Amino acid sequence: MPTRLEIPLASEQAMLRDATRRFVSTAWSPVAAREVHNTESDPLDLRQAAELGWFAMLAPEELGGGSVSTSGIADAAVIGYEQGRHLVPGPFISTNVVVDALSRAPAGDDRRSLVRDLVAGWCTATWVDAGSGAAVATGNVTASRVNGRTLLRGTAPAVQDATTVDWFLVTAQSAEGLDQFVVPRDASGLSTKSQQSLDITRRFGAITFDDVEAGPALEVAPGAGAVSEQIQRQIDIASVLTIADMVGAMDHDFDAALEHARTRTAFGRPIGSFQALKHLLADTSLLLEASKAMMDAAVRAVAGGAAGHMLVSTAKAYVADSAISLGQDCFQVFGGIGFSWEHDQHLYLRRLTTDASLFGDASWHRRRLLDWDPYAKDVTA
Amino acid sequence: MNDELSEYRDRARRWLAENLRRRELGDADDLRNITPGLLDAERDLQRLVAEAGYAGISWPKEYGGQGLSQEHEHVFQQEAAEYRVPNFGVLGRTTFGICVPTMLAFARADFLDEHIPKVLRGEELWVQFFTEPAAGSDLAGVLTRATRDGDIWRLTGSKMWSSGAYYADYGLCLARTNWDVPKHRGLTWFAVDVDAPGVTVRPITLITGESEVCEEFFDDVEVSDRDRIGEIDEGWTVAQTMLAFERSMGSRNHGAVVTSPSHVAADLQELARDLGRADDPTVLDMIARAHINDVVFAELTARMTALSAAGAADASSLAAYPKLAAGLFTPERARIGMEIGRVATVVWDDDHPERARVATNYLTARGRAIAGGTNQMMRNVIAERILDLPREVSFEDGDGVHR
Repeated sequence: MPTRLEIPLASEQAMLRDATRRFVSTAWSPVAAREVHNTESDPLDLRQAAELGWFAMLAPEELGGGSVSTSGIADAAVIGYEQGRHLVPGPFISTNVVVDALSRAPAGDDRRSLVRDLVAGWCTATWVDAGSGAAVATGNVTASRVNGRTLLRGTAPAVQDATTVDWFLVTAQSAEGLDQFVVPRDASGLSTKSQQSLDITRRFGAITFDDVEAGPALEVAPGAGAVSEQIQRQIDIASVLTIADMVGAMDHDFDAALEHARTRTAFGRPIGSFQALKHLLADTSLLLEASKAMMDAAVRAVAGGAAGHMLVSTAKAYVADSAISLGQDCFQVFGGIGFSWEHDQHLYLRRLTTDASLFGDASWHRRRLLDWDPYAKDVTA
Repeated sequence: MNDELSEYRDRARRWLAENLRRRELGDADDLRNITPGLLDAERDLQRLVAEAGYAGISWPKEYGGQGLSQEHEHVFQQEAAEYRVPNFGVLGRTTFGICVPTMLAFARADFLDEHIPKVLRGEELWVQFFTEPAAGSDLAGVLTRATRDGDIWRLTGSKMWSSGAYYADYGLCLARTNWDVPKHRGLTWFAVDVDAPGVTVRPITLITGESEVCEEFFDDVEVSDRDRIGEIDEGWTVAQTMLAFERSMGSRNHGAVVTSPSHVAADLQELARDLGRADDPTVLDMIARAHINDVVFAELTARMTALSAAGAADASSLAAYPKLAAGLFTPERARIGMEIGRVATVVWDDDHPERARVATNYLTARGRAIAGGTNQMMRNVIAERILDLPREVSFEDGDGVHR
């Protein structure tokens, strides 16, 4: 049998993983994943998921949260890996980004109380990254001051679960730079519509802001700069959880391709005995194992300042490219059967390729890592 | 335990500060073109370190080592990183990182009694006599013959690609002792005195014009049976252990800690700046790609070391991952240097040694994809030993090596 290369998790993280697996394996299946794009509501019971701690790991205890280990982001990544491995739909990544952001708001900010509802699964939120620069399909949301009111205008496409979530954390360009606002879905002037996606295991939509009145800007820590540190942290968290989603999906896709190579026969022997395929699988295995290593590195890098942003982007860029290559390699190993609707291969290829582009694609992250390198700044200055 | 280690660290730090000089910019990373005079100075330095008890830190006490843990060894190497420690070039790594660990695992006590203290004092440097002209990737295809003659073995044959053999004192030589069994089963290791009658060492000039590697000819060389390492015909088992030491060395690099590069490919950025290409988006993307591979290699190595320590699989199979990564990344990185350099790294003036380095690097980088196991061999190791895919069909006779 193939050797599984896993570094044992801490016991509480292993319990979290097992509980997540049990829940997902009874409540979800790749067959159901094929129909997600046709549904109008969250296919999974998010309150049940919330009880497992899916939205709690990045929230403080006083707001109903709490991690199982000393690292909330590491715990969230454990769940994130299972999301990808089992093609779980729903706003796991974006809700966690919003939970983390709102948890860091100052004590007097009443938007902190929203965290409690998000952690409990009573409501959901998504992070609208248009304007942060990470979105490949960049929308253009602006915030302008009119008669003492802040009005949002513009469109943000390619937002996961845009048509169903209750809250949006919107990043908009104002006269002073980038600002962030928390907007409810029933806000006057806000409309959403479904979009088509390569990834049918999740739903995406566009949000239109037509003079939507926004409350005060969210400021988790006062600071200057065109793109403030709070947005950089959100990019880091969204990236790390997307990396975990990719690694989970890569791990499963590779397992399936390897099993196919070991059992499918041609010319009287398993196709996995042909050196052309063995070498392809060895190279693909390297992509997978290196991606696991980079996932661990990215988890460690969160909250690491400039060096942390560099390392997270290094990981996102590498894993994004590797995810697509792995999906393509596995496709090649499966041969004709990989083209059939019944086979899961296309679901993983769709998910991996979409993850690779979400929250900044590989080339965007290569640029970001250079932006955070003090030495590179010297050079270009 | 932690107290004891930090006390050890303090003591080592004091000794280093009082006895060795700090590394300076002009100090070579790796000694090359070694002459006897150069070697004598390094041997003196090694004796100083050994007499203070900082050589063979984790080697057994009975052979002159300190009998301390790997952690102690690691602590000393961390502290010594800033100092000008003995530099024996490639043979330093071969002797201390490959040959002695292998001998400690397989050689007889009286043999170790005689040789290990000399190694510790810098009096003996060891080389591997392993690869042959007709046995590269097919390492077990060794044709050098050892024939028994009472208490003596007679060696005849030739070896190739032996790094640093021209200044070695002893070599660990793999020879065929049985021609009637499958090729992996008839091999035995011997310690050979490089100055013994019948041994000829010739340097091989490489593509860069340097000659750190050699070829050797053995013409009826006498070796005592006491200098046999491991059991007769069991040499392949010894070789596996040796290869695991060798593969893990690339990443251990004298046992230094593996850390991710903290800023982006400084050498390539400097080259780009020098050529006025520092804000060319194509160049920036290439530099970022090189950096990503640098970080991936470090993180992958750390992960495989941890998996190895956790017993997930055998060390030499796990080491195939970083070895393959290095074999893919190194030539790619060298090529990026040439792409940034454009014509400036194919034609340059004498006063641009940094451009010459980029060009030389381009020529040598392919070595990481070949030496110590080719990329293709690493893929076979991963496919067969980790992924458990079926072995290749063999076209060799199962009943012996007929040549």
